Amino acid sequence: MLKRLYLSGNEAIAYGLIEGGVRFLTGYPGTPSSEILPTAQKLKLRYGFKGFIDWAVNEKVALEMAFSASLCGVKSAVTMKQVGLNVAMDPFLNAAYVGPKAGFVVVVADDPGPHSSQTEQDSRLAAYLAKVPVLDPSTVEEAYLFAKKALELSSEFEIPLMLRTTTRISHGKSDIAVPEEFPQEEFNPSFKENLKNWNIELQRLAATPKLRHLLHKRLNEKLDALAERNKPRFFYQGDILILTSGIVFSYLVELIEEHQLENKVTLAKFDMPFPVKYQKFSEFKRVITLEETSPLLELFFDTEGRRNGLVPKEGELTPEVCEKIFSKLGLIPEKKSIAIPPLKRPSLCPGCGHRIGLFALKKVFGKKAIYCGDIGCYTLALNFGVTDTVFCMGASLSFATAIKKLFDEKEKEREVIGIIGDSTFLHSGITPLIDAYHYKVPFLLIILDNETVGMTGNQKTPAHKVSYEGKPLNPVKIERILEGLGLDFVKVVDPYDYKETLQVLKEAKEYLKISDKPCAVIMRHPCVYTREGLLNNPKRPVQILEEKCTGCKFCLSEFECPALYFDESSEKVCIDKTLCIDCGCCQFVCPKKAILEVKA
Amino acid sequence: MKLVILGKGGQGVLFFSKILAQMALSEGKSVKATEIKGMAKKGGVVEVQMKIDEGLSPLIKRGEADLVILLSPDLEEYGKTFGQKILKFSEEEIKKAFEKVPQRLVNTYLLGVLLARHKIFDKKTALKVLDEENKKSFLKGFEDAEKNVQSQDGDFT
Repeated sequence: MLKRLYLSGNEAIAYGLIEGGVRFLTGYPGTPSSEILPTAQKLKLRYGFKGFIDWAVNEKVALEMAFSASLCGVKSAVTMKQVGLNVAMDPFLNAAYVGPKAGFVVVVADDPGPHSSQTEQDSRLAAYLAKVPVLDPSTVEEAYLFAKKALELSSEFEIPLMLRTTTRISHGKSDIAVPEEFPQEEFNPSFKENLKNWNIELQRLAATPKLRHLLHKRLNEKLDALAERNKPRFFYQGDILILTSGIVFSYLVELIEEHQLENKVTLAKFDMPFPVKYQKFSEFKRVITLEETSPLLELFFDTEGRRNGLVPKEGELTPEVCEKIFSKLGLIPEKKSIAIPPLKRPSLCPGCGHRIGLFALKKVFGKKAIYCGDIGCYTLALNFGVTDTVFCMGASLSFATAIKKLFDEKEKEREVIGIIGDSTFLHSGITPLIDAYHYKVPFLLIILDNETVGMTGNQKTPAHKVSYEGKPLNPVKIERILEGLGLDFVKVVDPYDYKETLQVLKEAKEYLKISDKPCAVIMRHPCVYTREGLLNNPKRPVQILEEKCTGCKFCLSEFECPALYFDESSEKVCIDKTLCIDCGCCQFVCPKKAILEVKA
Repeated sequence: MKLVILGKGGQGVLFFSKILAQMALSEGKSVKATEIKGMAKKGGVVEVQMKIDEGLSPLIKRGEADLVILLSPDLEEYGKTFGQKILKFSEEEIKKAFEKVPQRLVNTYLLGVLLARHKIFDKKTALKVLDEENKKSFLKGFEDAEKNVQSQDGDFT
């Protein structure tokens, strides 16, 4: 029996993976992939099966853990966003050579556009590089079905499978049919049970370069067998053939039906855009590929597409873009495009502890200091001048180390600050700090610790004491990592205590003048976007004294709280009480002392 | 039917879209939707595009929405890129909503206003998917708006 559920693509993938028998699921949060793992956790709580479903410290660790689970005969999967796959590339390529024992799926969410990423890279090409077959769903329902399909193929061929999704699939929603009964799966991890044949097993599990050649050969044979079986599905009957995969297929179906092009265009849909077997398609007048976001099928089948300028080389292939391509092909008349007005830029939440902490930092170190930023909510400090670089996870500290080292070599005084969130620090900030300590580089390390992965929807960090199942965990203390490394200036402040924060930052400034080590200030304040954070947040309601506010807008440009706005009629700053959470931090900002705490 | 629902974080865009989807599903219609909510809390726009009983993808081409529901009046210019038929709530209606029902039920009150002014779903369908508390709030909004519609013949552009 089936029931219909209204699910997002990410929820659908979780259902598919768990139904398909995944009992080890891990990953690192990243938009648009973050909701898969929490959905699987809910299923585990609901059905109470055995297994491990929780976050890893970063994508590389996640992929390695999930892969080794599969070597124990437990079906496993790992989730990440596309740039997370870059972090996990080393084990990803290796997994293809070694090959899993139980089904092993790497779920990667791409972000054509990009909507919330550094790059709009096409993970299907990473799959090609790694020689890993990739499934590319075109609808939410396919995301669910392909998750199960990926596990089946992976088990059958002993090869990792990539399930590539995109923002529109992951964050799309649809009603889909799932089984009423929860499918049971045997949970029986085994490793090194058969010592007699262990030497043969070792040729795969710990292969030396000589044996790697053999593993590579076997991998190629698996790919050939898969390619032989992998046939495109054809739709409509026209003399222009469009090869496609992923959500673009859905847009094309809609356009063809809207404009009644059923006799002009044929679609060839590849559920699995790699590996494919070359064919010529010589019966068609033109052969074109429309795919996101890089040429893959286009290269294999040597078709028109991005390389001859028919398809834009960057950006999402939205329905509008596909429509334009149809006009270029002479299939439909050209349509005037609609100009889209820009929307207000995002800023840190009202009451965010990062804002006042970074304001204090700017106050003590000034505009001339070099602020190396990182990936997280606090990237938005760019808006009020406390971030000069944003690169990739952990790069704040590598940048700060190298930049400070260069100025030191030149014997030039420059204050360099690395700003990183708690989760990003644990993800990939520790490694550059080891070099900073080793090479005696005195920069200021600011760790913005809100005890959660804020930007991606408040996932847990290794600092948490209790798991989603209510089981105790060992909370990781960042200050102990820093002290263990050898830093002797490690201070923790609550940035809401503005005076104390200023004091500690001034001490750090003095320390750096005489020190040859990095020094660290941990600004710890719970994220106000979490329920608990908001409920327990201190209440310090403020008012703006109209007679004192000169309308200088200093608070707006240098602090940028969404709850503060400029009232054009009175030419003064006002508080939007629907947004304000009474954190009271703005009272420390106004140079005219016009913002005052209302004493109860 | 192609719907776009626009607002800011916390204004109930996702709530509206959830109830609308439930109504469609309870009538046996398919729903395809997409949510853009990346930085909602951070002052960003929450945008839901929803296709009911049509299409394969959730995306709606600019200019082709049947109805754009605005929960934030300052998004009108942006909303118009999706379609010319805009539904927004007047300041008076919002004030009334806050007077008549507790804050957590304001959205269902407004849903009542929406369905009275624009019959994208039958009243009965809404009553089927809402719980008791929300039902009452919905009916208040529906009835208040119905009176208004009769006297003004609607005010959406």
